[in-house]
Amino acid sequence: MNPLPGGRHYTQSEKNIMSSPEKKWKTIESGPHTYEEALHPVVRKNYGKWKYHEIPRPGVLMHVAESGDAIWTVRAGTPRQDTVDMVRVLCDIADKYADGYLRFTVRNNVEFLTPNSEHVEPMIQELESRGFPVGGTGMCVSSVAHTQGWLHCDIPATDASGVVKSMMDYVYQEFKDMQMPNKVRLSTSCCSINCGGQADIAIVVKHTRPPRINHDHLATICELPKAVARCPVAAIRPTVVNGKRSLMVDEAKCICCGACFGACPAMEINHPEHSKFAIWVGGKNSNARTKPSTMSIVAHNLPNNPPRWPEVTEVIGKILSAYKAGGRPWERVGEWINRIGWKRFFEETGLTFDDNMIDSYRHARTTFNQSAHVRF
Amino acid sequence: MGIEVNGVNYEVDENGYLVNLEDWNEDVAVKLAEGEEIEMGEAHWDLVKFLRNYYEEYQIAPAVKVLTKAIASEKGMDKKEASEFLYGMFPKGPALQACKIAGLPKPTGCV
Amino acid sequence: MEGAKDASSREGHHCGGCHSEENGKFLNPTPMLNELESGPWPSFVSGFKELAERTKKPMLRGVLDQLEYSYNTKMGYWKGGLVTVDGYGAGIITRYSMIKDKFPEAAEFHTMRIQPAPGLHYNTAMMRELCDIWEKYGSGIITLHGQTGDIMLQGIEQDKVQQCFDELNQSGWDLGGAGAGMRTAVSCIGQGRCENACYDNLKLHLKVLKHFVGVLHRPEWNYKLKFKFSGCPNDCTNAIMRSDLAVIGTWRDAIQVDRDEVNAWVEKKGMDVLVNQVINLCPTKAISLKDGEMHIETRDCVRCMHCLNAMPKALSPGKERGISLLMGGKNTLKVGVNMGSLIIPFMKMEDDEDIEAFIEQIEEIIDWWEDAGLDHERIGETIERVGLKQFLDGVGIEADINMVTRPRDNPYFKAPY
Repeated sequence: MNPLPGGRHYTQSEKNIMSSPEKKWKTIESGPHTYEEALHPVVRKNYGKWKYHEIPRPGVLMHVAESGDAIWTVRAGTPRQDTVDMVRVLCDIADKYADGYLRFTVRNNVEFLTPNSEHVEPMIQELESRGFPVGGTGMCVSSVAHTQGWLHCDIPATDASGVVKSMMDYVYQEFKDMQMPNKVRLSTSCCSINCGGQADIAIVVKHTRPPRINHDHLATICELPKAVARCPVAAIRPTVVNGKRSLMVDEAKCICCGACFGACPAMEINHPEHSKFAIWVGGKNSNARTKPSTMSIVAHNLPNNPPRWPEVTEVIGKILSAYKAGGRPWERVGEWINRIGWKRFFEETGLTFDDNMIDSYRHARTTFNQSAHVRF
Repeated sequence: MGIEVNGVNYEVDENGYLVNLEDWNEDVAVKLAEGEEIEMGEAHWDLVKFLRNYYEEYQIAPAVKVLTKAIASEKGMDKKEASEFLYGMFPKGPALQACKIAGLPKPTGCV
Repeated sequence: MEGAKDASSREGHHCGGCHSEENGKFLNPTPMLNELESGPWPSFVSGFKELAERTKKPMLRGVLDQLEYSYNTKMGYWKGGLVTVDGYGAGIITRYSMIKDKFPEAAEFHTMRIQPAPGLHYNTAMMRELCDIWEKYGSGIITLHGQTGDIMLQGIEQDKVQQCFDELNQSGWDLGGAGAGMRTAVSCIGQGRCENACYDNLKLHLKVLKHFVGVLHRPEWNYKLKFKFSGCPNDCTNAIMRSDLAVIGTWRDAIQVDRDEVNAWVEKKGMDVLVNQVINLCPTKAISLKDGEMHIETRDCVRCMHCLNAMPKALSPGKERGISLLMGGKNTLKVGVNMGSLIIPFMKMEDDEDIEAFIEQIEEIIDWWEDAGLDHERIGETIERVGLKQFLDGVGIEADINMVTRPRDNPYFKAPY
């Protein structure tokens, strides 16, 4: 080995570490699991050579390959928050009807692929009898993208799985049917970070008060400059409280986003009464017909009301009813609103537009109506 | 929860990090390292010194890329070698073990 | 905990950690959570309770008790920490209970993120093995899947983590990403079933993530970096908004039209539907009728996928297929929502050489971000701060009009002449 800069030579322990032929750990750094053994033989045979698909009934897809082979998919909803027992039941169904193969969709549905059309009906019966609703295809309300909430997250203002259960109970029939103008993607998030993501309709926690700071412990559990740097509006400053180094928040500047809380657990922003819900609409990731769009806020100040959040699900219901009645074929929620105009959206859903919904953040001006286009 | 060093009890949290950072001294560091099954050699002490100086100056633990850059430049290694060297010294990672042994606060967050 | 005092007084008598002898049941009463057992959608609460009654694992009881408590007080009680496996600096999401005096059985509830196969495909043998190993060491609770794309094995104590991981690892599973490094990726089903898939996204996903496996397990970047691989511009993985690097399949030439199938479609659905639901919805008016026949002007087509979605048998993507790369998507934190923007309009993605060229380009992009980016700054935020031109110069990509919706409307730049 070459000597180090300055002429110092490596110590023996350094040499040991650098030249040891095997790592101290026996891990195989394999990355993603391999997939070929998880593809049905009919899929492997026709990989990349598919011709078209049809949706014979809600919850069932039929894909036909260039070779003429056909494969049926039965799709069913799951809670996403599963147990090994539940997964073993799905494996039993896969073994019985799908030659031992199954997969999951990005929206937490389970899918069984089979080349045998006569397996489709019994599979549907068995899934339904075990409590897994068959659906989630085509122009339906698909399942809710969500994360962990009170079950596991370290910064949640509410629960996720409970909200999802409440929402999906409410929209259950629309998951199993294909009666909407186009797909409706839902999401829910337990803080402003919005891990559930953009969606046609999203319910997202909104904090309404600045964080409450634990000055006694802040300096020992937080790296102060990190918390200061996280604030998007520079509202956090170092200070001294009771002789201890700590941070203070300029409450007039604070926008209650909660970013500091993620960096510093001593800056508690969650509050059982003051962390509330907001409803957002119009998010769209697909490029079809219109460019992808972010969602807009259409309701806020809704209470965080476990275990079933009735106030929030009621608003979802209003939006879905208006959309189902007024949307034209292929219009996603955002596209429907663009056509009918926001004024009619608020009228038809019974929601209220207020001045807090006017953008005041970084690109606010781009959302102003810079035209004489008016809807009366 | 605590560790005992030279007859004195020092409080640690459930992850083994010092609760009161002012409690740190080199004997405490050795004890913390023992808990991680690490024997402190010259390279380990170099790194602990680097971490503590950085924290004193900037009030934050250095980002891992800062750490590997420092190791790379001091030892004439490239980034990948420096990273492997770091994990060779601290198999459970610089954040978990190096920062703990150096008496820095526990890194936070998963978002 | 401040703010929770009123709520907790409503909670009533609650004994954590002792098991109720009522009906010989293992679990303590959870009246709030029980309300989530009614209703038609499958209930995660019922799933947990059934698992707990069968396995009698105290951690399950503790976690349900703590969750019930959260439902009453409307606060969360988990805190983070650092548990890892040897050689890895990330992948285990550490959770200690902040109220373990109340719920000692929930003292530790760490999650292991595990990378699934691209496309979320499983066979029952591998799935059952995963479940058996997990039940042996952990709670038995499993999430399929997390938002970034991991399998989440939720609920393990730190002294069991290394063994559990070793056993899973020897069976072909590896940890997922966390912290400031590469994260687990997601692919749609792609060529595994979809006629619109324009490239082998499962293969690309596997190769790219294997290439970056070192920095996934030993994070050392400015912040996280996520890939998502969608087979076509329908973007079913939500790549544009949920990833820093969105790989979206596309084609360069004309949409392939099967005239017979178009006629069959019109025969079945009618001309009104063709006009109202297909032609009128084309964003660039690329479709017209000529003598009653549908005609697509390829030069005006932006490959939005709508007409292909509406007429799946009759239309399919062109023959010259590849990928577009969009960059910079991220969610709301700090600067607000960013959508990825087009960086590479087209790249062939047919063979291993194409994949290597792609990976090389990604390495250059990441090298640039490592130098130009600040701590805790996503790549999209770096672009916003320093400018797209600086990025293109730094990475050696030529400016392309497709990267913008329009040229700038202000003249404020230093002319290099």
